Amino acid sequence: MWKKLSLRTRLTILYAGLLALLLTILGVTFFIDTRNLLIENTASHIRATAKPIIEHWLYGENLSSQAIEGTKKKPDSKYLKKISRQLARDLTSRNVVAIVLDKNGKVIANGKVLEEEPAPVSPNPFYYRRAFSGENEVTYILSTDNKNVLVLLIPLRSAPGSDHVLGVVQLSSPLTPVERILYRHGLTLAVGTLITLILGTALGLLLISSALSELRHMIATCQSITEGRMDQRVHLPQRSDEVGQLAQAFNRMVERLEASFSAQRRFVASAAHELRTPLTALRGSLEVLMRGAQDDPATVAHLCHGMYREVLRLSKLCEELLDLAKLEISENVQKEKVVLKEFVNEFEEQARVLSQEREISILEGPSVSLKADPNMLKQILFDLLQNALQHTGRNGRIALGWKLGDNGVDIWVEDNGHGILAEDLPHIFEPFYQGKKVSECGEHHKGSGLGLTLVKAMVEAHGGSIEVRSEVNRGTTFLIKLPFE
Amino acid sequence: MTENGFDTSCGASSGTRILVIEDEDTITEFLKTGLKYEGYQVTIAKDGVTGVDCAREMEPDLIILDIMLPDKDGFEVCRRIRRRDSDVPILMLTAKKEISDKVKGLDVGADDYLTKPFSFEELLARIRALLRRSGRAVDSTELRVVDIVLNTETREVYKGGKKVSLTPTEFSLLELFMRHPRRVFTRETLLNRIWGYDYAGDTNIVDVHISHLRDKIGDKPPCLIRTHYGVGYAFYPGEGK
Ligand SMILES: Nc1ncnc2c1ncn2[C@@H]1O[C@H](COP(=O)(O)OP(=O)(O)O)[C@@H](O)[C@H]1O
Ligand SMILES: [Mg+2]
Repeated sequence: MWKKLSLRTRLTILYAGLLALLLTILGVTFFIDTRNLLIENTASHIRATAKPIIEHWLYGENLSSQAIEGTKKKPDSKYLKKISRQLARDLTSRNVVAIVLDKNGKVIANGKVLEEEPAPVSPNPFYYRRAFSGENEVTYILSTDNKNVLVLLIPLRSAPGSDHVLGVVQLSSPLTPVERILYRHGLTLAVGTLITLILGTALGLLLISSALSELRHMIATCQSITEGRMDQRVHLPQRSDEVGQLAQAFNRMVERLEASFSAQRRFVASAAHELRTPLTALRGSLEVLMRGAQDDPATVAHLCHGMYREVLRLSKLCEELLDLAKLEISENVQKEKVVLKEFVNEFEEQARVLSQEREISILEGPSVSLKADPNMLKQILFDLLQNALQHTGRNGRIALGWKLGDNGVDIWVEDNGHGILAEDLPHIFEPFYQGKKVSECGEHHKGSGLGLTLVKAMVEAHGGSIEVRSEVNRGTTFLIKLPFE
Repeated sequence: MTENGFDTSCGASSGTRILVIEDEDTITEFLKTGLKYEGYQVTIAKDGVTGVDCAREMEPDLIILDIMLPDKDGFEVCRRIRRRDSDVPILMLTAKKEISDKVKGLDVGADDYLTKPFSFEELLARIRALLRRSGRAVDSTELRVVDIVLNTETREVYKGGKKVSLTPTEFSLLELFMRHPRRVFTRETLLNRIWGYDYAGDTNIVDVHISHLRDKIGDKPPCLIRTHYGVGYAFYPGEGK
């Protein structure tokens, strides 16, 4: 269920929950503190008011006047009984009522006289005993049917600071005013909390949405890319956070994909283009034959010859395309140990057959062996030789040799042909690329422009690399670097 | 064009000279053979420079120009030719379907273009249209042989002033014969040209239609349409043999 919600909803719920918890803890603590403070305040206020009155009655003029009569005497229980009425009365006010208890806990005086004065609560023996044993600050709250009453007990001592306690004064005051304040306070807190929570959640939602809006933007971009619009990119204002990095990484990925797609498209377009010329020739020749040229045997022979050439060209193109496709799967490279000297000697025999009157020389290097697919290696050399033959004149000289390179063997094929134009040089390895004719030497040939593409692919399938150096009218050198393994 | 898709009006006024600038051997060969067969004089140039020179020297009636040439591209060649001779019709051959190429082709002064691989029929039709437009070939719509009058526009045939009603196939056969007098057509060639290249039927159908045609035009010996036994048919206008 939780997992099914959107990220935005989940984050907002979490955020709102945390906010509510925090606000509740704060509010409750604040409320309780305020309540305690108010009660304490009331209590100390009542005590402060009561203190001079008690001192007046116990140790004030009355007592001194009594002392004048007789010897210096401390107040006793009899004395207490005598003054208790007035003491209680004096301590009683509109919201405080006092009763005086003697040493047995019996009520000996009640301060309530007037109607509007609150009724005293009945004393609690437990607290009474604590006060009677000399504890000064006995305060408690008595809850009787939905009314809270603050009760304070003050021990009456025979002399200030004395241990001898004559009785206890119980002051009780209803907490209604405090509670009224607290109620207002609580209400304010609750409403405040609620408003803060709502505003906070809304703000949080807004923040989260804006943080996630880039993600949603990226989702939209992904979708339009899926629909085939590869030129789409995620445009985000410069930001270096994770979302910004994600967007950059995403853009880079799409760029790579687009590049490889368009390369693929170009390849297919070029391949189709390459098919057009032979197809035009075949179609045209056939039509001309059928329109009547078929009735003349010499013309038939002539056109058939040309058509056969075009069919061969198509077959070669087809084969090269298949080879190229095969090379994309690296398992098709079957490496075995190749002793280079033996291999080149064997190749030389076949090369001489092809070369006709052109001169071929082999420059042997150190005797090494390497791990390679002998069929591919043969095709590589064969293609390079074929190119060299095609681009040299009748007096062409072609050299093949090898030397040790860094961590491998460097094999070169060199000719003294008409070379490659500087503008063609960077492109000759591209599929279907054919250089401009430099001069009218060599046999007239119509290749597919896939030869060097295949050579490069095969060399790279061996983990090697190929380089070319060429000078117009001086010659061309292809250098293959193959690693030992 | 007849309803089976073949234009049999091949009346190139002999002597119409066409210059083909194209480097692919097989293509130039079939163009040369095919166009000669239709009665055009064909010259081939295998690269741009030669092409421009030939255009200046021989002053052709029409130029067929390939866009992809070994030395320079077809646009450049086209521009150069235009600089000298402003109104020779130029038909461009393109290997790319891209429209930009086509537009550019017409921009530099080419009059028409064809995308490879094209049909030879289509090429002939374009050539004829271009020649007509430039006023270099008088392509008459009325063919007259002895007392037979054939109108290629109204597709009507009159024999000695009387209207003869022919089926479309018979009409196409007669038109082909009248345009190429004395040429011997084999049954296969007639099948290909009248019934279509992909018609895979018996050649007897040719004999049936020709005998109908002979009946309708009242062909009596010495015949106009003569049978060459074991070869085919040919049309001999008004000469006793
Ligand atoms: N030995 C060479 N000398 C001069 N040019 C060369 C040589 N090898 C390759 N080239 C140039 O590189 C181009 C691409 O060669 P390649 O991929 O083998 O295609 P193709 O041989 O089918 O034209 C050729 O068209 C040619 O222009
Ligand atoms: Mg090659």
